Amino acid sequence: MAVRARGSFVGAKAPPASPTRLNPRRLLGRDWATAWIFLAPCLLVLVGLIAYPFVSAILLSFQAKLVGSPGVWVGLGNYQDLLTGRDLSAQFWQSVRVTVLFTVAADVCKFVFGLAMALLLNEQFRGRTVVRALFFLPWAVPSLIVGLTWKWMYDGSAVGLLNLIALRTGLTHDLIQWLASYDLALWAVVIAVVWASTPFWAMMFLAGLQAIPGELYEAAEIDGADVLGRFRHITLPGLANIIIITAMLSTIWTATSINFVYVLTNGGPAGATMTFPMLAYQVGVAGAQRLGMGATISLVFTPFFIVLIYFLTRRLLASER
Amino acid sequence: MSRSRARLVRRLVHTMGLLLFGVWTIVPLYWIVVTSIKPNLLIYREASLFPSQITGDHFAFVLARTPFLHYIQNSVVVTLVTTSLAMIIGTLAAYAIVRLNFVGRPWVARAVVVTYLVPGSLLFIPMFQVIYSLGLIDNIVGLIVTYLTFTVPFATWMMIGYFRNVPSELEDAALIDGCSRVQALARIMVPIALPALAVVALFAFTLSWNEFLYALVFIGSDSQKTLTLGLIGLVRGDTFPWGPMMAASLMGTLPPALVYLVSQRWVVSGLAAGSVKG
Repeated sequence: MAVRARGSFVGAKAPPASPTRLNPRRLLGRDWATAWIFLAPCLLVLVGLIAYPFVSAILLSFQAKLVGSPGVWVGLGNYQDLLTGRDLSAQFWQSVRVTVLFTVAADVCKFVFGLAMALLLNEQFRGRTVVRALFFLPWAVPSLIVGLTWKWMYDGSAVGLLNLIALRTGLTHDLIQWLASYDLALWAVVIAVVWASTPFWAMMFLAGLQAIPGELYEAAEIDGADVLGRFRHITLPGLANIIIITAMLSTIWTATSINFVYVLTNGGPAGATMTFPMLAYQVGVAGAQRLGMGATISLVFTPFFIVLIYFLTRRLLASER
Repeated sequence: MSRSRARLVRRLVHTMGLLLFGVWTIVPLYWIVVTSIKPNLLIYREASLFPSQITGDHFAFVLARTPFLHYIQNSVVVTLVTTSLAMIIGTLAAYAIVRLNFVGRPWVARAVVVTYLVPGSLLFIPMFQVIYSLGLIDNIVGLIVTYLTFTVPFATWMMIGYFRNVPSELEDAALIDGCSRVQALARIMVPIALPALAVVALFAFTLSWNEFLYALVFIGSDSQKTLTLGLIGLVRGDTFPWGPMMAASLMGTLPPALVYLVSQRWVVSGLAAGSVKG
């Protein structure tokens, strides 16, 4: 308020006599010069390293371009090949299916696990700080290392931890090919992802739970609400905003993450875990290095993320005020 | 009577829940540690859950026979430079957005949030072109440049949230006394914002240390590899030497894990603040 008042004060002092001489302060704001100098490095990153690549991705998607050679303009050819062509469209539609299944399954598990973890940690008990530190530790482990560790635990021979346990306890007599079987591989990847990112959800939910005033629960208890009633009528509504924000953030990150799939299965077996970033990587960078087609694959999915980002931005800026 | 029984059931469910999550969290971590100290015999031929024998061979192998220390050094350089740059750039930008009066302010703020949310793996192919045309392929400088794309918007967004809550009177007094904006920022705002800067540093550090995709796409030679990429390089053909790989994984996890354990109070509040209310 004070700042705004002072700004208009300066504006009022500007000579009104010469309307033809434009006052940059009035036109661009009181501190425009300082502001743009302060913002310059940040804008350089925003424009040069995010907006420009985005635009160049769109241009790339209209070209047939291999790494290191000039591109050939093909108009909508890449899009047509990708959606209906012979060599890629089957893989592409498979990646759509896999990405949706992967993201939804991981999000649902993370929501359930994260909420359960947060509710457990929200209670008072001895050693809570230590337990919380332990539960959240996977958050700090580099995702690539999480992937490697699970790959080792899923090892299809008798020395992989899961097979070792399954054999010793007599759950199975045959070795289970966690990552090499078409039906299991995607779920195996989902479990590793859930292990790594449940702490993030739990942290968000815990912060949300601690913001719900305790009096609400006391009042409900006096009114005779049982545990489930209190959960449904106080906890869930209290967390609604955080649930929506976390789910959107997590959807963006999960759908576009590549580290786990890259390490665990490299998209296989037979495309069972080929999420779209993995397909974009394989087509655009590894193998044939078809940059134009790789960019097209990412771009086809982009509208979905633009919608998500639009709503998420509105929410983040709204809770900011 | 039934009340105390209800309490008992509640206690039981709570303890069971903690136990389940405890096992779920510990098992993979345990498997990293135990694999890294088991002799190969106990990893492969006579696989054991609780080794009867331990060895430091895998650590010795990784440290002496692979460029692991060099990878770590690259990761440290990339992480420190990225984090410092992000803190400086983010603080300047956030200050301008919160405190300075200029046309277009809300648009800049919106652009920061939007770019914070744009996932890097959507842009790695055009980014490859940008880095290629800058001549920074296979060079850690190229990694530093690209890591700014996720650290700067995040840092700016965090600092915006913090600066908003600093009363402007503090700074107005200094400005009236003849301080310049730069002086006001450096002498008044930055000291107040140290906790927020610590959170920014913590996250920028973790994100940069853990990054893998850009490194995979941009870097080829051993001399420029960071830790995450170097780890993959330990694979020989189709064989994963699990002992050395888990030893290297353990050493590569220690820096972010220790940073997290030391500052976990800030991690939790910082994460919630960053995505919920700036």
